[in-house]
Amino acid sequence: MNIFSKKQNIPTSQAELIYEAQTSKERRFRTNVGLSWFILLFILVFMFSGQDITFGSTTLSGIQIDTAFMANNLSFIAGGLGETIRISIMSIALAMILALLAALGRLSTFPPVYALSTFYVSLIRGTPLYLQIFFFFLALPQLGIILPGLIAGVLALGLNYGAYMSEIFRAALSSVGKGQREAAIAIGMTPSQTMRRIVLPQALRFAIPPTGNEFIAMTKDSALVSATGFVHELMWRSIKVGRAQFHTLEALIMAAMFYWVMTLILSYVQSRIETRLSKGDR
Amino acid sequence: MVPVVKISNLDKYFGRLHVLKDLSLEVMPREVVCLIGRSGSGKSTLLRCINFLEEPSHGCIEVDGIKVAGGEKGKKHRQLVHEVRLKTGMVFQEFNLFPHMSVLENVIEGPVIVKGMDRQKAVDLAEQNLDNVGLLFKKDEYPNRLSGGQKQRVAIARALTMDPKVMLFDEPTSALDPELIGEVLNVIKKLANAGMTMIVVTHEMGFAREMADRMLVMADGELIEDSKPADLFSSPKDARTKALIERYRSGEL
Ligand SMILES: Nc1ncnc2c1ncn2[C@@H]1O[C@H](COP(=O)(O)OP(=O)(O)OP(=O)(O)O)[C@@H](O)[C@H]1O
Ligand SMILES: [Mg+2]
Repeated sequence: MNIFSKKQNIPTSQAELIYEAQTSKERRFRTNVGLSWFILLFILVFMFSGQDITFGSTTLSGIQIDTAFMANNLSFIAGGLGETIRISIMSIALAMILALLAALGRLSTFPPVYALSTFYVSLIRGTPLYLQIFFFFLALPQLGIILPGLIAGVLALGLNYGAYMSEIFRAALSSVGKGQREAAIAIGMTPSQTMRRIVLPQALRFAIPPTGNEFIAMTKDSALVSATGFVHELMWRSIKVGRAQFHTLEALIMAAMFYWVMTLILSYVQSRIETRLSKGDR
Repeated sequence: MVPVVKISNLDKYFGRLHVLKDLSLEVMPREVVCLIGRSGSGKSTLLRCINFLEEPSHGCIEVDGIKVAGGEKGKKHRQLVHEVRLKTGMVFQEFNLFPHMSVLENVIEGPVIVKGMDRQKAVDLAEQNLDNVGLLFKKDEYPNRLSGGQKQRVAIARALTMDPKVMLFDEPTSALDPELIGEVLNVIKKLANAGMTMIVVTHEMGFAREMADRMLVMADGELIEDSKPADLFSSPKDARTKALIERYRSGEL
């Protein structure tokens, strides 16, 4: 037998041994975390199962929830899912436009534009989202401006998120190196051509992952709009049936599950997009 | 003969820092001018003033008959600057290819967007230039899949496709691994032999000695030497030039 082939089967170098130990440790950690998640989920389900469990002299009893109510109202609450997603998509679209404009405003050397951008961001970040929502739904009508519920909700959420997301777009714009602009200018591009053709495409690609995070947050913050009663999304629907039949607990559990699953799915999609973008690197 | 580039009494300040001092220079058609000097002497600033990546503080830049006074503002000035940029091609140390565009898209971007050239015509022209730098087979690749030497050759093709009257090279091989320098220098030599007027900031003394019609030495914002390469290396006039050449000889630069 050849001496080299014998050597290959056993990890030889110190580095290899350490690497082996590390990966197996990581693997064990992940398995245990998965297992613990499963147990926590089981406990959560048990808590609302109405079943009793006895350990010696102590008995734990789960909360009795009305599953018939849940089954009866599932489709009504689920019907709000579309509205939640719709308002989130429309709001994030508006937020992206405002954020980009605000970020560009911050780069402006024209004082009024710079001021407008910082003023907007300061005003919105300095007041609660909840207040802003009520402003659009309840304060504007006093001035005779009555907006349809969806529009008011989108305006409030979009304006609010736009102010926060302007930081993302600012970072995205500054992630495009000076050399890129100079190369564009050197071949004779005008400032607006440079912005549209060279800077923005690269900046937007940079902004995709953090914007995804904001979108996920938006799907949950959109629940605040329900307080005004004009947008019949997930939260509004679950409160409505819950109150009417004195089963708010069940109704909220259902809404929570919808939000949670939606977040898990979106996070998964988000992480896929992120790895795709980082792999391509272009 | 009229010079392609004529710089008259150029001054450049960065705040209080006087980087270019009353500098004048003429470059004739087909001339290859190599510019050397210590770090911080103002070589890059000089090149960047020629295509107005830096606005000169005082003085005049004239490229192929377009004369622009530095330090002015307004629409007329911007138009003249634009015309000068169309007549100059620039190659940067860091390549600065557009990473979101394929090699071919990088090269046709200027003609199509800036000159409004018909796309097919631009593609033909771009392919011809890519072929000249030996990279036609990479036309559909993205820049991050290219080696440094290949990136720089694409950058040269990109500048050439704008059909410039003069090429400005700012240390085109300084960011490259040693084994990749040759392929880029060969492309520049080929271009020089084809009659392109060029100003090359470089630390490659072998290249300068072989290709330069004139060598310029810069120190503290002034041109302290303007001579044929053979004369420069055998009998430098200024003590600072002597010191610089010594440092190149000892491999410090
Ligand atoms: N944008 C700027 N703002 C302020 N100072 C600058 C700027 N660009 C260059 N300088 C200064 O001007 C001087 C000349 O710089 P320049 O880049 O032209 O030198 P260089 O000869 O190209 O040097 P190197 O060989 O290191 O590239 C340096 O002192 C530098 O610090
Ligand atoms: Mg330099």
